[in-house]
This record gives sequence, structure tokens and C-alpha cells, in this order.
Amino acid sequence: MKNSAALILLLVLGFGGAIWLSRWIENRRGRSASQLDAEQLYVSGPAAKRLTFAFNGLAADWYWMRSLQYVGRKVIDYEDNSAGQFDLNDLSKLDLNLLSPLLNVTTTLDPQFIPAYQYGAVILPELNSDAAISLLEKGIAANPSSWILYHHLGYIYWQRREYDKASDVYATGAKIAGAPGWMAAMSARMKADRGARDVAREIYHRLSESSNDKTVKEMVAKHLMRLDWLDDRDVIQASIKNYHSRFGHCPSAWSDLVASLHGTRIRIDETNGWPVDPSVMPYRLINGGCDIDLDEHSTVPR
Amino acid sequence: MLTRTAAIAGNTFREAVRDRVLYNLVLFALLIIAGAIFLGELSAGQEAKIIVDLGLSAMLLFGVFIAIFIGVALVYKEIERRTLYAILAKPIGRGQFLLGKYLGLSLTLVVNVIIMGLGVSIALLYIRRGWDPLVARVWPAILLIYAELLIVTAVALLFSSFSSPALSSLLTFFVFVIGHFSADLKSLGASSASMPTRWLFSALYYLLPNLTNYSLITPAAHGVTPDARSLAASLAYAVFYVAALLASASLIFRRRNFK
Repeated sequence: MKNSAALILLLVLGFGGAIWLSRWIENRRGRSASQLDAEQLYVSGPAAKRLTFAFNGLAADWYWMRSLQYVGRKVIDYEDNSAGQFDLNDLSKLDLNLLSPLLNVTTTLDPQFIPAYQYGAVILPELNSDAAISLLEKGIAANPSSWILYHHLGYIYWQRREYDKASDVYATGAKIAGAPGWMAAMSARMKADRGARDVAREIYHRLSESSNDKTVKEMVAKHLMRLDWLDDRDVIQASIKNYHSRFGHCPSAWSDLVASLHGTRIRIDETNGWPVDPSVMPYRLINGGCDIDLDEHSTVPR
Repeated sequence: MLTRTAAIAGNTFREAVRDRVLYNLVLFALLIIAGAIFLGELSAGQEAKIIVDLGLSAMLLFGVFIAIFIGVALVYKEIERRTLYAILAKPIGRGQFLLGKYLGLSLTLVVNVIIMGLGVSIALLYIRRGWDPLVARVWPAILLIYAELLIVTAVALLFSSFSSPALSSLLTFFVFVIGHFSADLKSLGASSASMPTRWLFSALYYLLPNLTNYSLITPAAHGVTPDARSLAASLAYAVFYVAALLASASLIFRRRNFK
């Protein structure tokens, strides 16, 4: 009995001590690791593929989840350090230099992993559009029958304002069996309307439809909100111009414009009659009422 | 003759069950359940692919461990316990004894693989909240994993017919690893300028099992199934290869002196 009690005590002390030491080492390591700019990838894609032989799909999943966590961790670190919400449309604030190699390893291990290419196509262009293009071209080489990758590659070229190239990519993708009809239409619109807002809106809608990823959907939603804000601004600025031409000065308050904004695309807050942006924050009249801007608390990207 | 072989196979299966070999299914079940519950959060909508990768990889890994560690001990345990003498004193040939042992372990593996396959299918049904074509499409890959395990078991049995369990485990593991690099063996041979080196690599390429034929876990996770011809060819390859290995093991085992 006495012996058992001593053993149980030793067991508790042993585990307790090990857990305490493990936490202490972790905390120490955490502090020193934060001094390093970023963790390194020790294994290249082809090397990882050889090392994992029959288990390359599982290894690809591991690298995929690591890629997602890498971005997630960077967002959390940014929010902790800058005490504010991170805007997914400003990824350049995050130092995501490992994302491209991580996605490259993922897609080398599993070249048919389409969501990894899609994720790279949406996130990478803001950081390094060349890396995004090379990832997508690799994906197209491995999956020549996947029209969705052409859609994403076209989107990257469109973002780079290389409208002719974007149009060619959409046209090539449209020829693939099973490609939806809007791919060919998009190719034509890229050539004709180039950087027009309606083209942007359609691209973002298609991107959102084709992805299951929450981050991608959130990012696209922000892009769409920005397009809505730009459209709203055009309507309100036209209304201000009209007011100015009638009265010879800019409106002093929203109440001066409300009547002219009714029946337009602008949403009006019924409680105070102010127009609101896509994040339902009121717009601000600036420059003596001659222009408008977003509220400082608005979540619409500028 | 068949009844005697079946009796040895049945005993080998019962022994494996008594040795709690099938307890690995508990670990597998925990892995799949945890995967099905937690992967949704981590994988950004890719939980079905990851469940298939995880489930089939675990099936192969657990199966290979069983094939190696149980396979190498099949003959050795009988010699160690001296039960082999009692068996061979009966009208049972040494080849028959080996075949019975092999079939017994193959039966253990088939039970293991079927239960694990059902586990993966149930996890997929849970994730998709109903029927998904992927549930059916993983089964050809499961069949090929089983064929690969049959080859690994035969390799283990061959080594155990003349070597110690430790060495047999090591050699079988090497064959399993090299079997997944057989394409490299061929390309190494082709890129060599020296004729003997070419022959050596060609010989190794054809003598060692080409296990890349059975690596269809990654395509299965994308719902891609092999065409009927390549599936049949891979299964036929396994039958021929296993037959050759069992014949070699019998030839060696017949010449062994147990006095």
C-alpha cells in the first residue's frame, strides 16, 4: 500500500515536472523564435515527394494545412501587434514569404490538388504575382482538363492589367470540355471592357462561386464591397454635382441630398436618412460637402 | 490437401486474433473519428480528401506493420515453440504449411482492410452528411492496398523461411521502400553508360516488387479510379509475384534442417 502510494506520487511528480518543463522550454523557444523572421522549409517539393513515397497525398494535406495555418498565424500576430482588425485585401502588410514555397511543395506532392492552386491564385498575386502565375501554370500542366485553373490564371493577368493575356487565357480555358459558357464571354469582355468595374464584379462573383475556402470567399466579398462603394461614390458625386449646379454651393448635410438619392442604388439608413456604405456604416461628406468618403470605422477596403 | 491448408490458415488467423493484432483497428477508428470531427476546421473544405488520404495511408501503414512483424514471426514462432515438429510429423508438406500460414495472415489482413475501408466510408458519409460518390470510388484503391499487403506478406514469409525475425523485418522493410522507388531503378539503369550497371539495375527493377502499381491513394482522394484493365493487370501482377515468392520460400524451407 505504502509502495503504491509512493509510486503514484512519483508518477504525478514525474508527469507534473515534465509538463512544467515542457511549457517552460516552449515559452523560451517562443521568445527566441519570434526573433527569427520566418521558419524555413528544409525540404523541397521533389525531395518531399521522394521521401513520402506511398504517402505523398497525406504529406500534401499536411503542407496544405500548414499553408493555411501559416497565413492564419500571420494574421493573428499582426492583429495582436497592431491592435486592430486585419483587412484581407492588404496582404502585403503580412510577411508571407513562405506561402509560395509551401503551396509549391503541396502541389508537387499532389499535383491534382486544385484547391491549393485556387488558394494561391487568390492570395499570392498581392504578394508576388510572378509566383502566382508560375503556380497556376504548373497546375495547368498537371491538370490540362481543369478549366477553373485557366479562370484563376486569367484573373491574375487581369489584376496585372495585362488584359490581352487575360483574354487569351480565358479563351484557351473556354475550349476545354465542360468549361462554362461565361469563360468565352469573359475572354471577349477582357478584350473590350478591360479593367471595367462590371468585369471585375463578374470575375469576383465567379471566384466566389468556384471556391469552398472561407478566406477566399471573405476576400472576394471585400473586393465586391469595394466595387459597390465605388459605384455608390459615382452616384453620390453625381448628385452633389447636380446640387451644386442648382444652388451654387455644395450640400451642407445629407438631408440636402436625400430626395435626389431616393430611387437610386444608394442604401439609406431609415433612422437618420443618411446614406450607408456596403458595411452599413454612414458615408461622410468631406471637403465642405463637395465630396464623400468612407467612415473611419467602415470595413470597406479603400 | 486443401482441408489441411485451410486448417493451418484458420489456426494462424485465430492466433493473430488471440495476439490482439486486430486491436490496431481501435487506433484506426480513433484516428478517423478525430479526423472527421476536427479536420473541417483546419482544412478549408478539404476534409473529405484528407479523410481518404489519412484513412488509406493508415490502412497501408498498419497493414505493412502487420505483414512485416507478424509475417516474419509466422514460421519462427513455430520453430521456437517446437510446435513445427508436431505439425510436420503429420501428413502435411512444408510447402503446404507455408501456404497455410500465408493464407491465415492474408485472412487477418483482409478483415483488417475491410473494417478500415468501412471506417473510411462511414467517415465520408458523416462528413458529407449523406451519400457521396467518393465512398464507392475509394474501394478500388483499397483493393490495391490489399494486393500490396499480400506481396509484402509474401516477402516477409520468404525472408523468414531462412533468416531471423529481426533481419527478416529489416529486409522486408527495405523491399517495401525500394518497391516504391522502382521507377528510379529503371531510370538509373537507363542513364548509366556501363553495361553491367544497366543489367544490375534492370535485374533489380524486375526482381523487386513494383509497388508503385499499388500507390493510388492520392488519385483516390480526388475520386479518380483506375481503369478496369490496369486494375486487373495490377492484381494479376500481385498473383504472379506472390506465387513466385511462395514457391521460393517453399524451396528454401524444404531444404532447411530442423534437427
